[in-house]
Amino acid sequence: MLTDRVTGGFFILLGVVLYLWVIPWQVETADYGWLKPRTLPLALAVVLGLCGVALMVKPVGDARPSTFNWLRAALFAGVLALGLWLMGVVGFVYAASPLAFAVMWLAYERRWLWLGLGSVVMPAVIWFVITIVLERTLP
Amino acid sequence: MPELAIILAGLGDAFTPANLFFVFAGVFVGQFVGAVPGIGPIMAMAIAIPFTFGMDPLAGIGFLVGVNKGGLVGGAIPAVLLNTPGTPDAAATALDGHPLAQQGKPLKATKMALYSSVTGDTFSDIVLITVSAPLALLALRMGPVEVFGLMLLAFAVISGLMGPSLVKGIIAIALGLLAAMVGTDPEHGTPRLYFGQFELYDGIPLPAIAIGMLAISELLRRLSESRREGNPAVRLPRGQPREDSMVSWHEYWACRFTLARGAVIGTLLGALPGIGSTAAAFMSYATTKQAARDPSSFGKGNIHGIAATESANSAVMGANMIPLLTLGIPGSVGAALIISAFMIHGIQPGPFLFDTQGRLIYGLFGAMLLANLGNLIIGQVGLRFWVRVVSAPESFIFASALLMCFVGVYLTSGGLFGIGVMLAFAALAYVMTTLGISVVIFIIAFFLGPRLEVSLSQTLALLNGDPTKLLNYPVGLVLALIALVTTVFLARRNHDRADQT
Repeated sequence: MLTDRVTGGFFILLGVVLYLWVIPWQVETADYGWLKPRTLPLALAVVLGLCGVALMVKPVGDARPSTFNWLRAALFAGVLALGLWLMGVVGFVYAASPLAFAVMWLAYERRWLWLGLGSVVMPAVIWFVITIVLERTLP
Repeated sequence: MPELAIILAGLGDAFTPANLFFVFAGVFVGQFVGAVPGIGPIMAMAIAIPFTFGMDPLAGIGFLVGVNKGGLVGGAIPAVLLNTPGTPDAAATALDGHPLAQQGKPLKATKMALYSSVTGDTFSDIVLITVSAPLALLALRMGPVEVFGLMLLAFAVISGLMGPSLVKGIIAIALGLLAAMVGTDPEHGTPRLYFGQFELYDGIPLPAIAIGMLAISELLRRLSESRREGNPAVRLPRGQPREDSMVSWHEYWACRFTLARGAVIGTLLGALPGIGSTAAAFMSYATTKQAARDPSSFGKGNIHGIAATESANSAVMGANMIPLLTLGIPGSVGAALIISAFMIHGIQPGPFLFDTQGRLIYGLFGAMLLANLGNLIIGQVGLRFWVRVVSAPESFIFASALLMCFVGVYLTSGGLFGIGVMLAFAALAYVMTTLGISVVIFIIAFFLGPRLEVSLSQTLALLNGDPTKLLNYPVGLVLALIALVTTVFLARRNHDRADQT
């Protein structure tokens, strides 16, 4: 119940921020037409706020993973973000292998055969299919 | 209604060697990924969509249909062998499939799942082929007011039936529509919510959202739950009697009423947006158990239990295409992904499809029937091999899938920026799923957002500030009223459920 109430509070805040700040800042005005550019986004901000109120008043139940899972998910997300940055700097060919290796290692894979297949053979196969067979470019 | 020559030409297109190859390849890939717990056909479709970019539209869409159909068959394998469904649809299959496998008959259980799946799927495909063109004719007579009413009805049904609560369903719709507002306003052409990122001027790319929210977020969830212990190994018993490793014609025929019931339930539920194949499988299982002479045998390896669930969950697939092809409304996430494949190839789904792309649509119907045949053939040969796939290490499969997601989005969504968008939406989807907010509703709302805004804008222009003019559009008015009644009904049902718990 607490998670739903916190979620409800978040959506009230989100609705208010969208309505008062983000939408007026990010959506231009127009003086003509029945449906102006801001109309629907503002209506959706109101809907989000009202749903937030509904969740706070009548929470529907909790479904949350353990803190450990949250932390591990954040860790993997961080690795993926790092992999994206690395791809931008050195390209797919050099970034894919360390990225795949890191993911497999963090997923407790310790068998060198599978680590080799995942971090060397699979990136090589993808590179071959995309650049040689399909003749498309990779980052 | 397309002419007979177009229908025949379209069906003939499906049988060209290239299209045959891609449909069968899709089935092969689908069965493979369906057999791996945690991947499933939806993730496979999401990853495969960008790779269909360079293909002929029919080959690409036929490939995706093959993946979806093959995945439904493959998903039953881990359900039967490990009691770990490869797809949510197969959860009910495990109820009787796994006990049968424990009795030393894993191949019998998986083969019954295969035959039932092909039977249910073929039935719903025939219904789709028969009813979709006349329904599209009806849909063509709808104006903006009727389309807007229909959208409201679709949102009411989807928000109430998908996911755990109506409020959270509405939140998912609002978030999906807000995401759809990013880019250029359809009426005035002014930029909205793009935060100075010119890559977002044309809106958030659908492949980045679909792959991020469906594939990457699921991979993050599975990776975060990975533990040091790997999958249990699966061994097929050797030297078992032939009748324990096959399904005889007599056994199949004895299940005919169960199969027919499952196929009808799956087709009916599949034609309604938002209900999904998991609900169909459990409903079919429950009705079969109720109708059985010996209900106590269910859950202990009764072959009728497998027939009921697999025929129903597979029948949903073809029926899901009815609202997609006739109204442009995706009934499920699989249908939403097929829509994104249509759009990648520059084809706008909806009732005009039968007029503008009649040959392609009938080619698609041919590909669907071929995929059923492919499921049967590849399943017969491959079941023993897929059983081995269940034991492949998740770490290898997940790392490979991640790399393919990166490459796929890079190819279709504007380079590295698209991958960044994909990761951002993956994180959003992870949080949403954790909080019980449906990602599938978000994606459907994101897809329907632009059409909703255009139809609302046109409706307001037609009404010209006078709400009484709505009386001139009785169909639209009735659809909007049904949407309102549906919302109130589902809200009260949720309220009653909450009180009971």
